[in-house]
Order: sequence, then C-alpha cells, then structure tokens
Amino acid sequence: MSMTFKKLNHKCACLADKVKNCIKQSSCPGQITPLSESCRSGRVKICKITGDRKLCARMASLGVYAGEEAELLCPENGSQCLLKLQGATLSLDSTATRNIMVTEV
Amino acid sequence: MALAGNPNAGKTTLFNTLTGARQHVGNYPGITVDYKEGNFTHNNQEITITDLPGTYSLTAYSVEEVVTRDYLVNEKPQVVINIVDASNLERNLYLTTQFLELGCPLIIALNMIDVAKDRGIEIRAEKLAELLGVPVVPVIARSGQGTETLISQAILQVTQEWQPRDISYGEDLDEAIMELIAIISENTFLAHTYPARFTAIKYLEHDDQILQKGQEDDSATAARLEKNVTQVSDHLLKTMDAYPEAIIADHRYGFIKSILRQGVQTHSFDTDRLYTSDKIDKVLTNRLMGPVFMLMILFGLYQFTFSWSEFPVSWLGLLFGWLGEHVETILPDGPVKSMIISGVINGMGGVLGFVPLIMFMFLGIAVLEDSGYLARVAFMMDRIFRIFGLHGSSVMPFIVSGGIAGGCAVPGVLATRTLRSPKERMATLLTVPFMNCGAKVPVIALLIGAFFSENKAMYMFLFTLISWAVALLAAKFLRATVLKGEATPFVMELPPYRFPTLRGLAIHTWERTWQYIKKAGTVILGISILLWALMTYPGLPAATKADYEQQRQAVTSSFAPEIIAESSSEKDVVSEEAQRLRQQVIALSNQESEQALRNSIAGRIGIALEPISRLAGFDWRTNIALVGGFAAKEVIISTLGTAYSMGDVKAEASDSLGKRLTRDPNWNKVVAVAALIFIMFYAPCFVTVVCIAKEAGHWGWALFSMSFNTFFAFLMATAVYQIGTWLG
Repeated sequence: MSMTFKKLNHKCACLADKVKNCIKQSSCPGQITPLSESCRSGRVKICKITGDRKLCARMASLGVYAGEEAELLCPENGSQCLLKLQGATLSLDSTATRNIMVTEV
Repeated sequence: MALAGNPNAGKTTLFNTLTGARQHVGNYPGITVDYKEGNFTHNNQEITITDLPGTYSLTAYSVEEVVTRDYLVNEKPQVVINIVDASNLERNLYLTTQFLELGCPLIIALNMIDVAKDRGIEIRAEKLAELLGVPVVPVIARSGQGTETLISQAILQVTQEWQPRDISYGEDLDEAIMELIAIISENTFLAHTYPARFTAIKYLEHDDQILQKGQEDDSATAARLEKNVTQVSDHLLKTMDAYPEAIIADHRYGFIKSILRQGVQTHSFDTDRLYTSDKIDKVLTNRLMGPVFMLMILFGLYQFTFSWSEFPVSWLGLLFGWLGEHVETILPDGPVKSMIISGVINGMGGVLGFVPLIMFMFLGIAVLEDSGYLARVAFMMDRIFRIFGLHGSSVMPFIVSGGIAGGCAVPGVLATRTLRSPKERMATLLTVPFMNCGAKVPVIALLIGAFFSENKAMYMFLFTLISWAVALLAAKFLRATVLKGEATPFVMELPPYRFPTLRGLAIHTWERTWQYIKKAGTVILGISILLWALMTYPGLPAATKADYEQQRQAVTSSFAPEIIAESSSEKDVVSEEAQRLRQQVIALSNQESEQALRNSIAGRIGIALEPISRLAGFDWRTNIALVGGFAAKEVIISTLGTAYSMGDVKAEASDSLGKRLTRDPNWNKVVAVAALIFIMFYAPCFVTVVCIAKEAGHWGWALFSMSFNTFFAFLMATAVYQIGTWLG
C-alpha cells in the first residue's frame, strides 16, 4: 500500500515549484489584486493567500489555495464575495477577501 | 461506527436513514455541533453509530473539528464511514487524506451520486477504492440507495487495525517530519492519543489544541518540537513565502488531483458552468436587490403565519374557554376548582392556544432552511453584522434564538460555539436573548392582537426588526466597551438551493412544535400552578371574608325573594332587577378576588414593585407576570391569564385574555408597546441564564446579562411610556 502512495506522490505536482512560480507571478501573469478589489463576476485565478496563518489553513481546507481557478458570483458586492470553486459556493467576508490575491483569467 | 465528513455532505441524513431517527437535518452548514449516537440492526447485528459534526479538516480550527477529532482519538470507533459529496469530490477528499493519516479503519460513502450525474460528473468508485486503498460505496442517503451495501462493507472493516498511512509533503517537509517523528517516538510523546507522524504534521500546522496538549503532557519535549517547527516555518517563509500548513495543504490537493486524474473522475460537460443554484444566487444575493428580496420574503412569512393561524388560534381559544366553563359547572367551589380554572386551563391554555401560530411560523422557517435560503440570509446579514462588531457566524445563533421569530435562546447560546474569537462569541452570547424566541411570540401576538389587531403581520414584522436593531446596537456597545477586539474573518460554504421535501418539512415543523407543546405541558404547567399558589395564598383573613359575605347578604336581602331566586337561576335572560342583583354580587366578588390577589405573596411582590414599574406604565398585576417571566417567558402569558382571571370565573370566564386586557383601565396602546419592549429585552429566562454562565465559563457574565438587559429594557419601556403618554 505504501508503495502505491509513494508512486502517487511522485505523480503529484511539485509544490515548491508551484508556490515559487506563483510568487514569481509566472503562473499569475496578469495584475495581482486582492479579491476584495476585484470583486466582480468572472473567473479568477488564486495566486496567494496572505495574512493570518490560521486563515491560510482554513482557506486551504475549503479548497482556496494558490493555483486554483474560481468563479465570482457576486458582482458589485464590494468587499463581500460569493466564490464558486470545486463545485462549492463559498461566502467570504472582507477580512478573507482582502487576503486572497487573485488575477483575472 | 462513526459518520464523518464535510458539512452538508449528508451525514445526518444517512444517520436518520440508518437508525430511523429524526435528527434535525438542515440545508445549512454547522447544524450538527455535537455528536449524536443511534442504534440499528443489520443482519441480526446490533450496531451503534455516531453522527459527528461536519468538518473540513482535522486541524483544530473550530469546535466542530475539535469535537470530531477528539471523538475519533478518544473513542476509537471500529470503523469510520466518511461521507463524501460526489458532486464536490476533490474538496471532500481533503478530509479523507487526514483520516488516512490518522489511521482509522475507513470506508467511503460516495453520497449524492445522482446530483453528480446530473452535473455530468462520472466517478469510477472501484478505481477510487483501488487508489485510496479503502472501500468506496456509492449511496444516495436521501433515498437510502446503497446503504445496505455500505453497512455490509463497513462491518468487514471492523476487524482492521488502526494503521496510519503516509502522504509525502515534498523533500523539505518530509525531512522535517522525520526529525519530529524521531523526537516524538523517543519520548513517547502523546503516543497514547495520536500516531507520531500525525502529531508531527499537526505541530507543523500549528494546531492550537495539540500544541496545548503537548505542553501539558511533556513540556520539555513540546518545547523541543516547537523550536524545531519554528525553524522550519522561518525557513519556509524566507524561501517560499509560505507557512508549512499551506505547503501541506497544497501537497494534499496534489495527492488528490493525482488520484482523480487517473480516470477516477470524468466530466461530461464544462466544469465551469453555472448551475441553477448559482444563477438564483446572482439575483437573491445581489448587493442591492438581495436585501429587498430578503425583507419581502420575511414579511411574506409573517403574513402567511398570521393569516393562516388566525382561525385555528381563535378555535383553540374557544375550546379552552368552553373547557373553563365546563369545569366551572361540574366542580364544587374551592381551591381545587380555582387551581384548575385559573392555574391550569387559563395558564396553560394561554400558551397552548398559540400552537397553530407557532406551527405555521416553524413551517415557514423550515421552508427557508431546507431550501438553502437561510444560509443566504446569513451571508447578507454578515455585512450588517460587521458594522456592529459581530461575526458572520453570529447570524445563525441569532436566527436559532428567534431572529425570524419562534426560536429558542438556549440552542442559540450553544450555537455560539462555532465562533472562534472569544470576544465576538461573548458579544453574540449576550445579545442573542434579545431575539423574539418562541416563548415571546405568543405574548407579542397577544398584545398585538389585542391592541393593534388591524395589521398584525406588519406589527409583528416591525417588532422583529426592532429586536434586531436593539440586539445589534447592544452588540456595538459591548464591542466598543467591555468586549473591544479585532474582527476575525468569516468564511462559510453555502449549500445549493434544494426543493424541500414534504417529509423534511413535516419533521422539522413537528419536532419544534412538539418541543413547544411539551414545554407547555410540563415546565410551564408546573410554573403556572406554582404561580397560581403564589397568587392565591395566604388568601384573605377570615374577618375580611366574613365582611364580604355580610355585604353580599346585605345586597341580596335588599331584593325581593322571587328576584333572588331568578338571579341565582341558570337562565341567561333574566329581568332587569335580577340582572342588577347579579351585577352587584359579581362586583363584590371581583372586589374580593382583587383584594385576595393583592394580599397574596405574588400580589405583595407586584405591589412592592409598582412605584418603580409605574414609570413604564405597568400595574402590580403585570408586575406579577413579568416577575414570573424570569422563570420562563411563556409564563408571562399564563400568569397574565391567571392574574386577570382570579375569581373572575362567572360572567366573563370565556373572554379571551386579550379582551380582558383591552377592558382593563391600566392597559392601553402605549402601555402595550412599553410592555412589548420590556418583555422583548429584559433578563433572559432562567435556563438561558444558566446556559450563558456555562458557555461563558463564569456566572459574572450571566448576572451581567440579567442586570444589563433588565435595566436597558426598563429604560426603553419607560421612555416609550413617558413619551407616548406625553404625546397623548
């Protein structure tokens, strides 16, 4: 069983590269803005989660992490957003949206 | 067995399907905050199953995660059924990876495969099982499809040992984890609770609960681990600008993606497409139109409740009136008769008479909750809550406590456990009792019905808005003074819109209505009888009684014998003289009853409070009801019923309490509004106070809640009465 996991893990995308790429903006070539400032409908790519480490972990458990693409459902809603990703709809408040750095896709 | 999974994945639905239980299932995340146990028989085998709170991970972030993890590591269930939403597989498997790391014997229930199919998602369960190394059984929890196979497969897993599985987190972190495992194993650190690798990962994830447990268990080893983890974190922050938990999460998703991309999941059509639920959200949660729709929907709920319950409520009123009259004719005069009529029938009848109203209100709330709209209300209210220093997670406790009217502050207080920030939680805890709970609704409905009968729904809606406004202002005051502190982020998953099922609506409406009836028939009945005793004893001195008897005889003897005979007959229509005699005797009896009530223990308390309560327009009888309301708010209506019916069991016995109040010279529209304001905002009932003390961990906060609320409510009621009287 453990062999299977090792094999699987080798197939996983290399995290370090992904994070570095995101930071270097190679995977986020457009303008990176906080979600709170780009809260209008359309697709966005999540580049980075900033702020409190607990928030980062919480976001990750909800599927919000660098590299993911999401759909904004609440146009002109100011800092409060509805974000659709991985088949789920998340409600995010201003503290959360200020810390999610995105780029338009 | 234990049922675990993401919020809204269908755990409680499956639990109810398996056990035949009727646990509350809501289309709202976080309905299950504590775990619940149930039993069922499968192939002559008795099985105990535990429904755990929904959680996104096994890292202690909120109370749900702590409850779930503690249950798993302390109770060590023989098998964990991981309910996974098939239409949202990737995110749901994130928790699965942590179950694998914890090592519990696992089986995956792939729920909502019908929803996934409708969305064009095809999942090969056998391939997923092969790659994860655990059985995967497709099920539809709502209909029970696949549950037999699921349980049969789960029973086979019972013999499995707890065996943690490793997931690689990349070279850097794997190396760090190995170093931490060496320290943990060497010192058998937390070994009785968690696998060494699991502890190491949680240390890297900076899990507060495990860090604290570690310090309590072995502070020296804990310090070594923390030092090590700090070095790793600093290194990662410098080189990758990321915390270890972000890297761990990313690898977990990488692991999940690698599984799903091996032919486990295929999409028939565009994965980005918006579903009906999303399209509805674009309208119903719109910044401008959303609140308008919300107010219209809530007002519609009140309109529906009042218009549909009007006749059943009046029928029940007539029924209790008839019952009182019937008992009056069959029982001899004396304390037993008085207790049954004044204590039981008028007291309990006043509460039970509102069952139809409460039931229609609960039905409306069940529709909102089961359809998923209630979660949208929380989303929209979050924006307003922020302004007043509260958190988005405060919305649900407010609604549970009676935000839409008809809840209960006790579960509302318990629901504040989902708030992480102690100050935001305390502010919520202290303000949820301001909501119009199911016990206050009949009082509000009674006074509105008696004094503002022309537009009941509108007034009920208005008083609900007032309760929200006052609660939010009180929260702002608390957050600006004794509970100052930073706001914490609010993130919540919104469930999709669903058509409520008739069965679900019936269960939700009935379970809440039954609680109300049960309380009326037990606690409220007991308190009503106690208050009747307090309002009856010690009674009038023998001399005073004899004096009244003499007066009655004097009045009677002034009439001719045939008039006396006619007056005491059962006839409804009598001569003018006989009617005059009847009225004089009734007036004397009422005077005697009032003096007896004044002389009673409760009466004396009411009279003692009158010099102060008069400022808000309340007479001594109302004071008795308000004091009784400290025990339970339902008691207000039953005590008013008793106080305004003591001894009044003849000509006006069948009159409703509302009619009695409108006839009373101490009551008018201004007094009614002042009383409504006071009742809505004064000290919470006794059970809520105990609950606040327990949740706050200190009686000081409970006492603060009682005194602050009562003082605040009295100030408002006095202002309303004085200004209202001055304006005429």
